[in-house]
Amino acid sequence: MEWFSFIAADEHLGIETQYIYRVVDDVKITPVPLTPSCYMGLLYYRGELFDVVHLGNLLRQEKAKRKDGEWIILLKWSGKKLGFFPDRVRGLVWVEDQAGSQRIHIEEKETIRLITPDLIWNKLLEFSYGYSKIPENIQPGI
Amino acid sequence: MDIQKYQKIFSQESEKYLKELDDLLMAVEKDLFNTGLWGDIHGKVHSVKGMARALSLERITVLGHNMEEWCKNFQSETVKAHPDAVQILFNGVELLRLLVARSGEIDSAEDQRWYTHLMSQLKKGPEELAAGGIQAKPTPMKEASIGKIDYVRVKYDLIEELLGLSQEIMLLEKSIPLLSHEQISGGLKTWIDDYTSMLKGLHFRLAQLRLMSVGDFADLFVKTIRNLAQENGRKVRFEVIGGEIQADITLLERLREPFIHLIRNSIAHGIEPPEERTRSGKDPEGKITLEAMRERERLIIKIGDDGRGIDRSAVEKYFREKRSMSDDQISRISEEEFFDAIISPEFTSASETTDMSGRGIGMNVVAQAIEFLGGRLTIRSESLKGTEFIMRLPVSLSIIHTVTFKIGDYILSIPTSDVESIQRREAPSSGGAPCYDLRGLLGVKENQERSPYILRFKLAGEKYTKEEMETEIAVAVDSVIGNKRMMVMPIGEILSKAKVFSGVGIMENGDVSILFDIKNLPTLPNNSR
Repeated sequence: MEWFSFIAADEHLGIETQYIYRVVDDVKITPVPLTPSCYMGLLYYRGELFDVVHLGNLLRQEKAKRKDGEWIILLKWSGKKLGFFPDRVRGLVWVEDQAGSQRIHIEEKETIRLITPDLIWNKLLEFSYGYSKIPENIQPGI
Repeated sequence: MDIQKYQKIFSQESEKYLKELDDLLMAVEKDLFNTGLWGDIHGKVHSVKGMARALSLERITVLGHNMEEWCKNFQSETVKAHPDAVQILFNGVELLRLLVARSGEIDSAEDQRWYTHLMSQLKKGPEELAAGGIQAKPTPMKEASIGKIDYVRVKYDLIEELLGLSQEIMLLEKSIPLLSHEQISGGLKTWIDDYTSMLKGLHFRLAQLRLMSVGDFADLFVKTIRNLAQENGRKVRFEVIGGEIQADITLLERLREPFIHLIRNSIAHGIEPPEERTRSGKDPEGKITLEAMRERERLIIKIGDDGRGIDRSAVEKYFREKRSMSDDQISRISEEEFFDAIISPEFTSASETTDMSGRGIGMNVVAQAIEFLGGRLTIRSESLKGTEFIMRLPVSLSIIHTVTFKIGDYILSIPTSDVESIQRREAPSSGGAPCYDLRGLLGVKENQERSPYILRFKLAGEKYTKEEMETEIAVAVDSVIGNKRMMVMPIGEILSKAKVFSGVGIMENGDVSILFDIKNLPTLPNNSR
């Protein structure tokens, strides 16, 4: 089975390559207000919309910042579409099917935690969106 | 809609039905007593007739009606189908084709004779055919009947691929090398600008291929309804209103499963058996109606039946037992809130689990699917009169005009139809509507200057609620980009959680803008004004 391995939140993670639709860079992401800090915005790519997140920040729950030239991994599965920025891309690894295993060993002492697109999606759904808190210092009306 | 546009839709839709009728008649010719096939033939003829009646095309309506009568006889097996009957109906389809092409008009004596002859045969009824009183001969094929090829079937994947390619070509614009003065003065820059502008137009047009008519979508359910009705001993006819309205194929695809569930519910629990309906003074044949309409940027789809309605006592029981409410409290619940209970996961009114209704998904799953699309499901029901499920989908993939503006880094849009006026803050105010500072609401960093533009809105009350009055509001924005044409796409599950966006707009240059749902603003606390 082939896995796409990358670093996010100081952790070595892997996602099955069957979920990866494209790896892109130099694309325009439209920021969306009232979203959590790990939500980078929307990407319109090949006629489809992708929600884009910064995975490291989603896992660490920190404020995300995009750097130039970063790759975005676009995932498509079960009718869902999601893009994510990893902290660093490691590459592809091939390992024998390890049914049910949540970690795989690739080199001595190094393991990859296997994640699924649904895990990212569900984590993203846990955040609150919209007017969670109305700021008090809003300018008065006309 | 102007009549010419409607006639064009009628012509397109009818051609599709007539082609399907040819196929069905060929099938029934080999399986003469297949009542299901006769039901399908009946349905298609009925659809053509229904559209023709709406356009007052008398000849097509009368011809369709007489053909329907024959189908009904074979469908109910009142008269045994005969190969010659299939031929008569083939002739009828051929004549319908000619009449559709000529907007119901006959312009030659030969065609008039054909029409009169066929009508006299049809009026005699299939009994006469069985008795040998009608001689069916194929109508000689007329040249006009072999129409030109207007449409081709294209796989959806190919459309997606073409869209992808066109977008990739557009992205090449970003990698154009710096041009020298000679190249610019030589016209290369103008040529590149023209070229990319045409590419963007092409992409925009291609995106429209993703639209599907609600009528085509409804066709997916015709056979299911027929089968379910037969399994349950019900008589059901299916009517479609607003079939010409188009929506994003991905949106309709997501509605497919919920619709099947609603149709199952209608047939299993709503529409009564024919004898019960007759006892109640109703037509023994029940009706399921699918209606589509547009309301500003919203697509509204209703699916309803004329059955016995939702069992109120089961809903009341739920309020008493699960929500510990007294009878007095229950009586004060609004109708909308009352039927909303059905959407609750723990609610079930099914007295028995049937093969049709008990598939492990309840109304809450239907509601979730609608919510996923950023829409809302409302239920209306009246005892013995029927039930209606109203899906208000905030967007469908369609082209709308918007006023696009900036707040900080955010590019937002609001349908132009909602905007009453745009003015600079220093202009004299024309009203006392509450004004919201979107900068503060959207968490954009404050600066010393107040947002210079004011957008005013007059919002109509919801059509399906009791709040019919208009609301006036205004918002302050940083800058107004202008009026933009946009292709609207559904917002998706993640962003629909925010409940303040009604869709995503794609501009002709491929840029994205969020459609801001201004209708949610009046519900905010006062300190946001």
